[in-house]
Parts: sequence; C-alpha cells; structure tokens
Amino acid sequence: MDAITRIKQLGMPRRNNELWTFFPVAKIPAPEFPDACTSSDDFSEENDFAALLPVAQNAHTMVQNIADGSEEMAMLKCNNDYGHTVLNIGKNAKASIEILDNKVQHPICAERFDINVGEGASVEIFFANPANDLPLTFRHFRITQAAGSNVRFSAIERGNGITRVSIDAFLNAPGASFDARTLNVLGGESSSHHRLHIYHNAPETTSTQLSRNLLDGNATASYDGSVIVGNGCTKTLSSQLVNTILLSENSSVSVKPVLKIYHDDVECTHGNTVGELDAEQMFYLVSRGIPEKAARKMLMHAFAFDTFAPLPEGPAKKRLLQEL
Amino acid sequence: MLSIKDLKASIEDGTQILKGINLEVKPGEVHAIMGPNGSGKSTLSKVIMGHPAYHVDGGFVELDGKNLLEMDINERANSGLFISTQYPTEIPGVNNVEFLKMAFNSKRAFLGQPEINDDDFKKLCEEKMQLLEMDARYRERGVNDGMSGGEKKRNEILQMAILDPKVSFLDETDSGLDIDALRIVANGINHIMSPEKAVILVTHYQRLLDYIKPTYVHVLRHGKIILSGGPELALKLEEQGYDWIEE
Repeated sequence: MDAITRIKQLGMPRRNNELWTFFPVAKIPAPEFPDACTSSDDFSEENDFAALLPVAQNAHTMVQNIADGSEEMAMLKCNNDYGHTVLNIGKNAKASIEILDNKVQHPICAERFDINVGEGASVEIFFANPANDLPLTFRHFRITQAAGSNVRFSAIERGNGITRVSIDAFLNAPGASFDARTLNVLGGESSSHHRLHIYHNAPETTSTQLSRNLLDGNATASYDGSVIVGNGCTKTLSSQLVNTILLSENSSVSVKPVLKIYHDDVECTHGNTVGELDAEQMFYLVSRGIPEKAARKMLMHAFAFDTFAPLPEGPAKKRLLQEL
Repeated sequence: MLSIKDLKASIEDGTQILKGINLEVKPGEVHAIMGPNGSGKSTLSKVIMGHPAYHVDGGFVELDGKNLLEMDINERANSGLFISTQYPTEIPGVNNVEFLKMAFNSKRAFLGQPEINDDDFKKLCEEKMQLLEMDARYRERGVNDGMSGGEKKRNEILQMAILDPKVSFLDETDSGLDIDALRIVANGINHIMSPEKAVILVTHYQRLLDYIKPTYVHVLRHGKIILSGGPELALKLEEQGYDWIEE
C-alpha cells in the first residue's frame, strides 16, 4: 500500500488516536495530495500520519550511505516543506549527524528520516534548533539497529511554534542500544510533543530516554514514550525519565509512559517529575549575594546542562552544550 | 556590628521557633552558640538571612546600623552577612568556580566596583584553596555536588574566604569533619578572621572551640538565649550538659 492510500485510509489525526492524544490536532491544515505516489514502498503497517506525510507529498528522497568502518560527520539541511532522508550506516562505522533547522517559512514542515544502522556502528543524531517561528513542524525518525550498534539521539527545542518529534526505534539484534535525550525550552504559546516507540526485538538490548522541559508562559509539552519488549527478549534494560520545571502558572506538561513487556527477566523503569525551581537551591544562591533573576537563570542552565552532560565527548555534546 | 533584638520567628504552621533572641556581636568577636537539638540554633541563622520558610514575628536585626530584615536576601549577603548551614545544599550543574565568581562579582556590583578579571579571580581562588588544602577537583565540580560532608564544609569556608563577609554565621561547621579536616577548616576560619570581622559559631562540642577561641559562649534553649558566659562555659557544658541551667 502506498503512502497516499494509507494516509487517506487513516484520515486526519484525532485526539482519540493514542498517537495524537496531547497534540493540538486542529492546528494541522488538511493537506492536498498528488495524484500518484512516487515511492513504491509499502506503508500498510505505518500508523503515524506524520511519518506518512512527507512520502505522501512525494518529497524528494535523499539517500546517504556511510561506508563500513568509516567515520563521517554530516549536516542535513532542511529547507523544504516536505523532506525524506535515508541514511544507511555501514558496519562498524561512526557517524555524527546534525540536522539543521528549516530556515524557510512554510505553513507546515514535515520531514522523515529512515536511518538504518549496521552491525557495531555508532551514530549520534542531534539538532539544536535556534528559536524560530515555524508554525508547525513534524520530524519523524525510523531507526533500525543491527547487533552491537549504538544510537544516541539528542535535541534541544526552543521554537515558537508547534513541533512534534516522533521516533520509532527498532533494536533488532543483541547488543543494540538506543539513547534519547531531549530538552524543551519553551515560552509564549509554543508547544512541543514527543512520541517515542522503542521496540526491543532481541535479547540484551538497552534503551534510555531522558526528556527535560523548562516551560514558561502558556507553553505546553507532552511526552508519549512506549517501550515494547518482545517475547524472548531477555536481559532487556530500559529506562525512561521525564523532568519538567514549570516556570509559570499557565504552562503545562502531559506525560504518558507505556511499557509492554512480553517476557520475564527484563528491567524497565519509568519516572516523571514536575515542579518548580528548587527553593533551597534558590535560597543558597541568593544567600551568596547573587540576584534572584541571575540565580533563576543559573538553576535553569544547570537543569538543562545536566541533560547532555553525560554524553560522551563529540560533536553532539559540544554543539548542544554550546547552544545552552 | 550585628545587633539582634527580641527576634521572634515562626514556621508556616504558626509554631514559634525563636521567642525573643537578643545578641550583640562586635568587630573582632567570636560568639559560640550551644544548645540542645531543636532549640532554634539553625533557625536563627536562616531567619537573619531571610529564608522564606520562616516568618519574622517581631524584633530587629541590624548590621552596621542597617535593618537587615528589610533587605532582599542577596542584599543581606552583599552587605556582609554570610551563613553556612548545617547541610549545605547541592546544586548539580552549577560549576563551583563559576558560582563563586558570580557571587564575588555580585558583591562587587553591589558595592559599585567593577567585575574582577579571570586571571585575578583564578589567583584569589587558588590562594584560598591552598589555605584550606583543597585540591583542583573542587574547581570542576558542581556546587557541593556529590561531596562528602567534610568536603562540603570545606567548600563553605572557601566561599566565606572569597566573599570576605563582615559577619559569618557558621552552623555546625565541625560536623562531618575528621581530625585533620577540623584543624584545616578551623585554621582557615582563624586566618579569615580579623579585628574588623566577627564569627558566630553554632556547635555541640568543645573540640571546635579548642581551635577557634570564643569571646563569648551562649546557650540557646526553647528559642531564647538563656545563659551567656566566657569560654569556660563551653567546658562546663561539655562536662555537665544543659540540665543544670535554670531558665
């Protein structure tokens, strides 16, 4: 089934669809589709509107292959309304991929990334978008991982519009590990929505999710994180943690952790904290003479810094910490 | 210098902790405050610094003739008050040296002085760290982050040494210190102390006062100073406890 047929079959996202529970679906303009789909891929199993949209709009597909054992740093520029990128990372390759922000104003920007990670490969994918005024942005990542591969996904979002980042990560062989770290620094009327599905399809795979939100004004954020541990996938390790600091009365966050575990002998955790800046830490800083405004800024920076500080040294860590 | 008159303070549920504290601290003096657990010693330091968990019900606190209770917390600090709490707060992600520099420059801005340059601050920091026999790791760490009790106390005295306050209120600075660390910290305090400054020490034990000679010793119980005396009072308290004192 092609993408156009499938997206028409699914219809526009609705709040009663669990993939879109927290998203302001009324803000999505009804798209017009071309007569025929240029991609011959089968999308009959794809359920996410945002994953289908770029393909259904016949977005130009850019394919980038990174050879076995090579080391590459790449920047992917997103300037079109719809984009589709396929990255094939070879065995034991090391790649650092930065996704640059879409600089061109479109009513909607939808990008899809298919990332196939070979055996023993190590990949970091990151973006640190400066504040922009793009009204509606979808970024979908479909990541498949072979044995012993390692993917680190990190992002800072601080735009003024509505963004949705969706990730489907398939850990298909033993030793695969996936790490996602995201930070939303939002104010005004902006909103950011993350939807992650991590499929542990083999024994001895690992996934970690850390999402942090600093929300001011009327900003909203949501985190819908699912971990699916398949039958026979023993020794799976998985953790999910969402920390939010609400800086205003009207900011809000919604968090939905889902664990679907079909086998014993796995370790899966999830946690969620929502609060204000720590009053004792504030007192400590101002009791050393630091003005309250500067102290608040220091604590917010510390909260953000801690999101990425554990990353190994490399372009992603350097760029993300620099952006803070 | 520091004048506390009939200070009364309570917590949110209305329970009064301080029930009329009177204390006069003059330049060059070291005051030791002793007393049973729960008598209000820690509360006193937090109240004079303006901790939001406490409500001042009455009384005055003046530093060099200025009403501290009318000032914002950072103004109290920049006016020359320093408090070290019993359990220093950990702030992961805020670098120790960056924090110290920010605090140092905040005081300079308050006093109408220009910011210190990086080299001069580094020298100042190194000099004070040497005094307290602190190694370079302290520079890289978050404020009190993951430090042992003793390391935190040493870090507090480093802050005191750099910020150079007029009056330092040190709450159980000796707790969590081994014998060597106690000597180092006490020597550091003595080094920082001068005829223009004053220190108020809260302690349960004579051992700290073996190193830092108090001018006066006070007993605080049930939110009031019920007895004051010279250094000999601390020795008597160590021997006999508090039960012999009549309120």
